[in-house]
Amino acid sequence: MQSTATYDHDPASTQLLSRTWESPPGVLNWFTHVNHRQIGYRFVVTSLVFFALAGVLALIMRLQLISPENTLLGPDLYNQLFTMHGTTMMFFFAVPAMEGLGIYLAPLMIGTRDMSFPRLNAFGYYVYLIAGIALYTSLFLGMAPAAGWFSYVPLANIAFSEGRGMDFWTTMITFIEISALAAAVELIVTILKQRAPGMTLSRMPLFVWAILVMSFMIVFAMPTVMAGSVLLALDRAFFTQFFVAAGGGDPLLWQHLFWFFGHPEVYIIMVPALGIISSIIATFTQRPIFGYTALVLSLVATGFVSFGLWVHHMFTTGLPHLGLSFFTAASAMIAIPTGVQVFCWIASLWGARIRFATPMLFILGFFAIFVIGGLTGVMVASIPFDSQVHDSYFVVAHLHYVLIGGAVFPFFAGLYYWYPKMTGRLMSERLGRWSFALIFIGTNLTFFPMHQLGFEGMPRRVYTYLADMGWQDLNFAITLAAFVLGTGFLLTLINAVISRSRGDLAGSNPWQAETLEWATTSPPQNYNFRHLPVVSSRTPLWDQPDADRLECVAGLRADRRELLVTTLLEARPQSVLIMPNPSIWPFLLSLAVGFGFLGFMFEPWLFVVGFALSFFMIVGWLWPKKPWLDGEQSYDQSHNQS
Amino acid sequence: MSTTELNDARFVVDATDLSRFHSGSDAPIWWGIVGLVLIEMSVVAAFVISYFYLLMSNPQWPPADYPVPELMLPTVSLVLLLISCVTMYMAGKTLNKGQVTAFVLYTVASVALACVVLVIRWQQFQNFEFSLDQHVYGSLVWTISGFHFLHVVSAAIGTAVVAILGMMGFFSSTQRIGVVVDTLYWNFVALAWIPFYLILYWVPRITHTAGG
Amino acid sequence: MHPRSCGCVECVAVAGMETVNQFIGRMLTNRINPVHQISHAGLWLVLLCALSSGALAQLPTDTSMSQSALHPASSQAQDIELLWWIMFWASVIIFTAVMALLAWGLLSGRRRPSVLSSTASMRFVLVAGVAIPALVLSALVGGSLMLGRSIASTPPPDALQVRVTGWMWWWEIEYLDDNGEVVATTANEMHVPVDRPVAVELASGDVIHSFWVPRLQGKTDMVPGKTNNSWFTATETGEFRGQCAEFCGLQHALMAFVVVAQPESTFTDWLQRQASPANTPTTEAAQHGLEIFEQNCGQCHRIRGTNAIGSLGPDLTHLASRSTLAAATLPNRRGHLAGWISDPQRIKPGNNMPRTLLSPQELNHLLIFLDSLD
Repeated sequence: MQSTATYDHDPASTQLLSRTWESPPGVLNWFTHVNHRQIGYRFVVTSLVFFALAGVLALIMRLQLISPENTLLGPDLYNQLFTMHGTTMMFFFAVPAMEGLGIYLAPLMIGTRDMSFPRLNAFGYYVYLIAGIALYTSLFLGMAPAAGWFSYVPLANIAFSEGRGMDFWTTMITFIEISALAAAVELIVTILKQRAPGMTLSRMPLFVWAILVMSFMIVFAMPTVMAGSVLLALDRAFFTQFFVAAGGGDPLLWQHLFWFFGHPEVYIIMVPALGIISSIIATFTQRPIFGYTALVLSLVATGFVSFGLWVHHMFTTGLPHLGLSFFTAASAMIAIPTGVQVFCWIASLWGARIRFATPMLFILGFFAIFVIGGLTGVMVASIPFDSQVHDSYFVVAHLHYVLIGGAVFPFFAGLYYWYPKMTGRLMSERLGRWSFALIFIGTNLTFFPMHQLGFEGMPRRVYTYLADMGWQDLNFAITLAAFVLGTGFLLTLINAVISRSRGDLAGSNPWQAETLEWATTSPPQNYNFRHLPVVSSRTPLWDQPDADRLECVAGLRADRRELLVTTLLEARPQSVLIMPNPSIWPFLLSLAVGFGFLGFMFEPWLFVVGFALSFFMIVGWLWPKKPWLDGEQSYDQSHNQS
Repeated sequence: MSTTELNDARFVVDATDLSRFHSGSDAPIWWGIVGLVLIEMSVVAAFVISYFYLLMSNPQWPPADYPVPELMLPTVSLVLLLISCVTMYMAGKTLNKGQVTAFVLYTVASVALACVVLVIRWQQFQNFEFSLDQHVYGSLVWTISGFHFLHVVSAAIGTAVVAILGMMGFFSSTQRIGVVVDTLYWNFVALAWIPFYLILYWVPRITHTAGG
Repeated sequence: MHPRSCGCVECVAVAGMETVNQFIGRMLTNRINPVHQISHAGLWLVLLCALSSGALAQLPTDTSMSQSALHPASSQAQDIELLWWIMFWASVIIFTAVMALLAWGLLSGRRRPSVLSSTASMRFVLVAGVAIPALVLSALVGGSLMLGRSIASTPPPDALQVRVTGWMWWWEIEYLDDNGEVVATTANEMHVPVDRPVAVELASGDVIHSFWVPRLQGKTDMVPGKTNNSWFTATETGEFRGQCAEFCGLQHALMAFVVVAQPESTFTDWLQRQASPANTPTTEAAQHGLEIFEQNCGQCHRIRGTNAIGSLGPDLTHLASRSTLAAATLPNRRGHLAGWISDPQRIKPGNNMPRTLLSPQELNHLLIFLDSLD
């Protein structure tokens, strides 16, 4: 052992440890940060910006629909807007928001100092950012995609969408999937290999389980839409015939490829939300959640079964009824693991003294709204019923009930819950309650009447409607309600901004929660935990509320970034991983890859240029700096390793 | 200050003497590359399933006037790729024993084999009798071949870098995780050729004789 | 400064906000039971929504334009409506039960906190979360599949055969004889005999559209390269509106059509009429109108019996017999037709029909001619 080595169990090494794990300040250095907290925070904040953008688009759409034959927006612009609304919400808000929470919280919850591949983490964020900026640039230039977030062919193919808009869609989707896949792989590896000693899989917090299931779903679902969008890009750029009936292709192939991804996608969004709910209920009842095993099995079952439902988006395409029937059964079946979770939660709440702070209010809101959405979901699993309401406002109502109820409400609950951990301050309870009330009422007033509109025959994706259809009263009311809803969301965004400076100081564990992220300061120090904790139960902080007295790990270096690798199932200490320092290469690589994908839209050979540039960036990223190890642990602080 | 000098009952795990080197599934990066392989396998599956879907939507496969693909060159490619898996395996084995020169030779041999495959493929591309934009059969053949071609290129480049680093003395019997994960990826690219080879070169022969 | 009883918007808003704030404040200081209040309010809200929806659904709407799946006019639509009401009431019961359980659970901790025993909890989850849902879902799935099978079954042999082809953004309607040959062609308005099955063959000429007449049948997509089939039996006479239900581009919103169910003899007369070529013009003005049509419109539109043989747009041979224009966007009246011909882009921006510049006299004669095409 070198005499220059300093270990983190040395009480005097705190400052050195902090410097070692520091994300260097400064505008240019911002692009080199790799700590999971910085990256996770950026994901969450950026996703909220996209949420706001998509929300504004929705409000503009509602203004167009406020009266029949309105001329605020022409069909071209309206079609771009609803395409952007859906694409933004699904790809640029919902998944990144959940991933961001996962990236920020999972390492803290499992008691480690960073994720397995910090530079990949940063790369994933820049890819996401560039994709979003590029897509919105297309909107501001008036050439956004206009074939819906699902881009059905042949409409989305070159014969019927000649402009650049669809090219933005295909390339940006492929691009952003890289971001999601990178985050997913990383979350899986981190959760499987870096848990605190003693944190067996059955002692892992339910939110971490949810993130793990979500990540596996991403790994198996997203490649399909990448493959599909590549094929569509080829059809558009090189006139391949994958989706062209005249050339032996099939428009329905696109639907299969898209929905094989698209259905798991909505569960990818919902599964982490289910984890958030478990976390908050446990904390706000101050007792362990009931049915841990059932909840884990339900999460896993939901993940698996969700891959068997996709054809329920295609019930009206003329596929044989016998084949479709299987998907009716599967789509109904998935209600069971969801139901198990709902009742485990109710059992957990039963008889508890509950703290009705804002996070809990949003959880209660989830119950009401998601159950309504789930019930209409079971209805549309019925093929004959779906044949009437498919592609009508009934489905718009259903999908918003399940997504807002099942994802947005828990996500906002999570925001209010973990904001103090991320920023050190509590959000305003008063604004939170107002926001909750307006969002709850606004959601119901906006979307419930849409069920009725669907029954009155109003199809989806229509930029206007005739005056004598009789739809104007409901549409008028819905538009007003949408602004109530928007105000509710705005209040939370305002709350988040002003509480940074005006919120009450939070302390490490303002909610008296039981999981490890609360065992450190708020916000956490650079090194997350002064000493990596060791656990022996599911509720470490309820067993030992004083974080400084937790059992912990000694022997990690303080003069370079190290963290502990543990075994897959039992989480026994196995080895130590030396982590990279802040680096500019992830950002540079994202620029090169972005250049390749964006360039492809204009000149296909630019993709090759991007490919070559990326190669150089990857080499730069991975190239080991000297001195190289010769069998002895003689790194100096500036060493980088792949 | 070692832990034995500390009088602190909190420290129940001592990581001081745990290895900072990894050689396989104990390394997070190993799992990361497995994740990448799973992702790519999903893409391969998507392409293979799409191939069969489109095959079943078409009355004739290959379509009328399209030639049945020849087998010789693609089979040679397959064999060369499988051999390259063996050379990569040998590279790993020799590195484990500390035989750095042998290791470098085996990796260079693998890269060379890949380059031969690329040249063969390039020849094949020149000789394709159909375009990619007339019928989905051609689109599939071009796209799947091109997709795999690009992956062989990336695997070859990655392994070439590994070979260069090996020549520069970076790898040793303890420091070898980079080679392990590169081999993982290499094996995936080579083995992914099997399903593609079967659907591009054998399936049309079967459906051609069946449909007539 | 506003007086105390001021009723201006600002004061009302402020008063409202203060009331809500007080309510919430009292809630949180435990002076009123929040759970009770919230769950009661929630239940009322939902019941209100449900009942008002139910009520709204019964409100009479203009039946000629009625596009409501809850006003069935065929046996298939009727069965689907019944299925809906069964599912609806089952959902109301389930929702109320779940919310009640939730409220009860939240309430039971107010006075004396307690924990459900693990066996009680397990039983609760298994019964409420597994057993009951499994039963209810099995019933639903079983019932749905039986109904679905009957709807998807092949139509009876005496069914009328019609082929509908979706185009951006209009409907080509062809009546077929027993050999599949076209006997009559029309567009955007389809007549059917009441009480006789109608088998519709669905195709698309460009992108995916969807054929949907809510009062008669669920929708079926029209996919290029594929022929889909649907059938229904109208059980009442009347006009039923349909609309494209698969996003198909710029004018998807205004791509609608009308189905008219008539007694068998009326229908037969109508079909015969549609099968025959256009009336020859009897006046000079009409003759002039025909020439204008052939010159300006004939490249896209066909009028059988004239030199206008275009097939890019709807067949207009019997235009005057239709109740609507422009894919059921406008009533078929002179003024609307004039406006449509002169500037279709203003009414349906982005559709494929260009503006036609005619002098007032030319337009007048054209309209006279078109008016003669009954």
